[in-house]
Amino acid sequence: MSVSQSAASAPAFDSTPRLLVYLAVAFSAGAVIALQICIMRIFAVGSWAHFGSLVVSLALLGFGLASAIMCIAEGWFDDHWRGAAATALVLFGPLTVGANLIVQQFPFNAIFIVSDPSQKWRLAVNFVLYLMPFVAGAFFLGTVFLKSRKSFGSVYFADLAGAGLSGLLFLLAMYVFPPENLITVPLVLWFAGCVSWFAGLRSRGGLLVATLAAAAALGGHYLLPPLLDIPKLAVSDYKGVAYARKFPDARQVYENHSPFGELELYASSYLHFAPGLSDNAAFNLPEVPENAYLGLYIDGEGPSGVMRALPADETAYFRFLPMYYPYLLKASPSTFVVQFGGGISTAVALRSGSRTVTVAEANPAVLDAFLNDPGLRDFTGDILHDPKVSVIPYEGRLFLAATKDRYDVIDLSLADSAGLSNPGGFAIVEKYAYTREAMLRYMRALADGGILSVTLWNKEEPPKSVLKLYATMVEAAQTTGGADAGTVANSFYVTSSYLSTTTVLYKRGGFGADEIAKLRKHTADMSFDEIYYPGFQYDTKQTLAILDGFRSAIFGNGEGAEATVSQNAAPRPGSAGSADAPPPTDAPSDAGAPPDNTPVPATTMDRLAWHYLINGGWDDIAARYVFDTRALTNDRPYFAAYVKTGDLPRVVDRLDLLQDEWGYLTVWATFGIACVAAFVLVLMPVAFGWRAIFRHNPGKFRTIVYFGCLGLGYITVEVGLIAKFVLALSNPTVSASVLITGMLVFSGLGSLSSERFLPRARTIMPAIFILIAALLIGYGTLLGHALDWIGTYPYALRLLFSFGLIAPPAFLMGFPMPTAMTTLGRLGKDHMFVWAWGINGCFSVVGAAVVPIIATAWGLSVVLEMSGAAYLLAMLAFYGILAPLAKSVSPDRIEAR
Amino acid sequence: MNRRDFLAGAAGALATGLIPAAALANVPASYDWNASPPTDSRANYIQWMVANRGEDPGFLGQHFDRYQQLLSHRDLWDKRNERAFLLTPREEFVTKPNLPVAYEWHHLDIGFGVTITGPHTVGRMTNAIDVQFGEKVLEIGTGSGYQSAYLSNLTPKVWSIEIIPGLAARTRGVYDALIARGYTEYQSITTRNADGYYGWEENAPFDKIIVTCGIDHVPPPLLRQLKTGGIMAIPVGPPGAQHVLKVVKNQAADGTITVARSDIYGGAIVPFVPFTKLDGGAIKGTHNGG
Repeated sequence: MSVSQSAASAPAFDSTPRLLVYLAVAFSAGAVIALQICIMRIFAVGSWAHFGSLVVSLALLGFGLASAIMCIAEGWFDDHWRGAAATALVLFGPLTVGANLIVQQFPFNAIFIVSDPSQKWRLAVNFVLYLMPFVAGAFFLGTVFLKSRKSFGSVYFADLAGAGLSGLLFLLAMYVFPPENLITVPLVLWFAGCVSWFAGLRSRGGLLVATLAAAAALGGHYLLPPLLDIPKLAVSDYKGVAYARKFPDARQVYENHSPFGELELYASSYLHFAPGLSDNAAFNLPEVPENAYLGLYIDGEGPSGVMRALPADETAYFRFLPMYYPYLLKASPSTFVVQFGGGISTAVALRSGSRTVTVAEANPAVLDAFLNDPGLRDFTGDILHDPKVSVIPYEGRLFLAATKDRYDVIDLSLADSAGLSNPGGFAIVEKYAYTREAMLRYMRALADGGILSVTLWNKEEPPKSVLKLYATMVEAAQTTGGADAGTVANSFYVTSSYLSTTTVLYKRGGFGADEIAKLRKHTADMSFDEIYYPGFQYDTKQTLAILDGFRSAIFGNGEGAEATVSQNAAPRPGSAGSADAPPPTDAPSDAGAPPDNTPVPATTMDRLAWHYLINGGWDDIAARYVFDTRALTNDRPYFAAYVKTGDLPRVVDRLDLLQDEWGYLTVWATFGIACVAAFVLVLMPVAFGWRAIFRHNPGKFRTIVYFGCLGLGYITVEVGLIAKFVLALSNPTVSASVLITGMLVFSGLGSLSSERFLPRARTIMPAIFILIAALLIGYGTLLGHALDWIGTYPYALRLLFSFGLIAPPAFLMGFPMPTAMTTLGRLGKDHMFVWAWGINGCFSVVGAAVVPIIATAWGLSVVLEMSGAAYLLAMLAFYGILAPLAKSVSPDRIEAR
Repeated sequence: MNRRDFLAGAAGALATGLIPAAALANVPASYDWNASPPTDSRANYIQWMVANRGEDPGFLGQHFDRYQQLLSHRDLWDKRNERAFLLTPREEFVTKPNLPVAYEWHHLDIGFGVTITGPHTVGRMTNAIDVQFGEKVLEIGTGSGYQSAYLSNLTPKVWSIEIIPGLAARTRGVYDALIARGYTEYQSITTRNADGYYGWEENAPFDKIIVTCGIDHVPPPLLRQLKTGGIMAIPVGPPGAQHVLKVVKNQAADGTITVARSDIYGGAIVPFVPFTKLDGGAIKGTHNGG
């Protein structure tokens, strides 16, 4: 029997209108993907996004679980498909609402995951409950797929296109529904799926049950919480916004929800902002202004300070802020502010005499608030409409790449709100404004003698992010300054304040001696620490002690402490605890004495870094340092993932120490759990019925490899491109929606087209695989340039261009899955058909977890190259799919299906 | 999931009212600044504390074990601080669900989105500011009340400000109840619910200030209310990995006031968490103390 011959066998849904089946599949697949995004949003707003990723990734194992069960009981599902599909479909809605409501009553709190064992169980409960609707959705889709196995391409098109378009629908719905009600989107899609399905089956009873289930689900979500006085979305007490809400006079003055986040502004006399203010301000100024600030929160994270329009005498303290540095040297500059944020940098630029201030802000929701909200315009003195100010409504780095304008000062200050310490840890977020490529653009957009000023929070001990910043800026300067080491050495001035901020100044053409003298005097006046200036001398004798000391402090066992303690260390308690200890009268101590000039180790580390970055030898230092300090690039734009891979086995018993790295560590946990779960689920059918199920199926191993590669390859492209497209689209949520929609819809079209080529699959598919691999590997190298170019266009055009870029590989990537599935179906390999679908699902989960691991270690281009390699491997395994069934299987059994 | 686990992670608001009644026995002996529990053995410590303070022997055992770990990890630097640590019953300042882990090294939830700092960090920080008897100490961020309770065993002049009204009221209630039971040393703690950013002008200047709230700069009013030569300690970073910033206010020969930032170790790098455990009464140095 050939594949093309069996295509003529009886259709699965012989009495059901095809269109309605496809619609049911499309809506249901849409509901599943909408629920994924919805759960991510719930975690982002209520607690921490990266734990949402963990829960959702693992919940998608529901597809693997459903597949394993269906593979074992394939005959039963084939015979009872109506009941199985209807039950699974109807349950999806109530399970979604029930799971969410229960989870919100048992919120997981990452901060206590080490100290409170119950938190691990809470996380497990989150996972198990959210798994339920995904299992229901998977059973429905799996059953329909099973009945469509002779012509899988069309139904797979419906599945992909439905899921893809729902990504776009969800994006738009975020303008309409606040985060706590976004669950309405999967519910509406699900109900549409129910109506299509039961209308197709002409089942009035089914329609009635589905309507009742929908009423229960929507009623449960909208009516139960107020009735029972329980939250629909529990916001952790440890989110920044939760704390602000506790201030007695706090009031929300602005709220807006959109794909760009849940934006809230609070007013309170208890809010005070002067980021990085010199301590000396206290003795040289009148009071810092009172009642002068609003706190800006996005998805509950913050605050970023928004400053009231103040009279000149109340802004005298600007001189004591670290972002003031460039204005010491530049009178009446034309200034560019890379990120508006809450507006403090812009206010400082205006007050410091800038003749023009060009300010970029990539978040349209923030811009909209400051440009159009009457209350906010009044509060800020309408700063964005100031005649000296012009606004760039997209990423500053993209504007500077394209413009011919040159600036005397370019400022990138404290773009992160409250510093680089977040009790729940940071998700792995692309920071394209801080990459080597971005720095290069800032440097090249400087006028002759212009100054780039970058201020970053310096609240980490041992230092991490600041070292990455230093390495990045020096690399960029070396690129733009050529091989002339002297020019680079003369172009930087660096200062910091311990556990506060660090500021790096880069001057195009290098600093003059008088300028350095001026900067050094200001640093002394501020009591800031000097980290680097041209001619700075560093004593290299300290290097090894510092490097080894920090490694020992984090990864030692406590015994090495003695070796690292200097003579200035705290007094040892001596004979404390002994029976003959003196009575507890005052013990001598030097703690109150004025400190000597010994710098703290973190400051020495900063100086050490600059010495080796400027004079050479940094690579060896970086290799020995406790954390990863490689420069950020557009290919690896991460401050997160500072724990070196080789140290990962050592982190388990000291998770508290690495709290801000939990986003990265969670990815490893997801990867580990996903691998184990995938292994179990993939092999479960084997354990339950190897002989009965697979005895006569040749090419089993190659089938596993094939569908494993497809699962891994597809999802890594999708997740990798989501990170990459942030370059042009500036926002991870928009990027995710565009990629989900683009990839799935174009792949759906590919799937639909693939049916035409099925008879010639043996000859055409290798070419398709090679094309996919070539495109992916090519994208790995070239995509960054294209996205940089796209990023300078208006947003609608950016979306259009993005879809254009996604289309070619996505279309081709739609071919392999349905071609192989239909082939399995037509060859009568029914168990393999269901199993293959599950393998694909399980490896998708593994692949999604592996992307950030590879991206942070080797870069996003390697992710795409790995995907290309997976497709090439799939090409080799493809012929295993085509192997016909062994002859001992009755053809009657095959045809009976 | 048992009831305790359920309660442990309930929303912060629920934690209100969960403060334990603990052992409600009155303190048998009046407070004596010259009295100090013996530290030669666990048993003698417990016996003395039961006789003089009326505390629960189970908690006292845990208290002494943690004391030994603080010593081992150099978090107590002198006898006065050892005494203060040993006399401050941490179990009175944690929420009921956290009673079993009151003396673990972790920070713990106390509701309101606030934690009680781990005992090692409290020890380091308080030792670093070297409070002398009679000195005036201001704490910004009363929180659970444990830090000021510890301070009140070093000096009878402690002021503490809490910004969250509900938490301020609850902790005031804890102090009042303890004072009623005979912990008279807490009478020297004056509390109020206010914005700590502005300090406490009426009682300034202070010899030492501890700031335990998150802010993007050191509040200038606090620096002004610090005596010349005074010290301020500010824990920075996420709860489990806080590093203590030490700020010293100096006056130069020409009268100029300057501020110096440093850590509390005078240039040393020390292990960041206690990796010690008790094994048969002896400190072993190769294991996470938690």
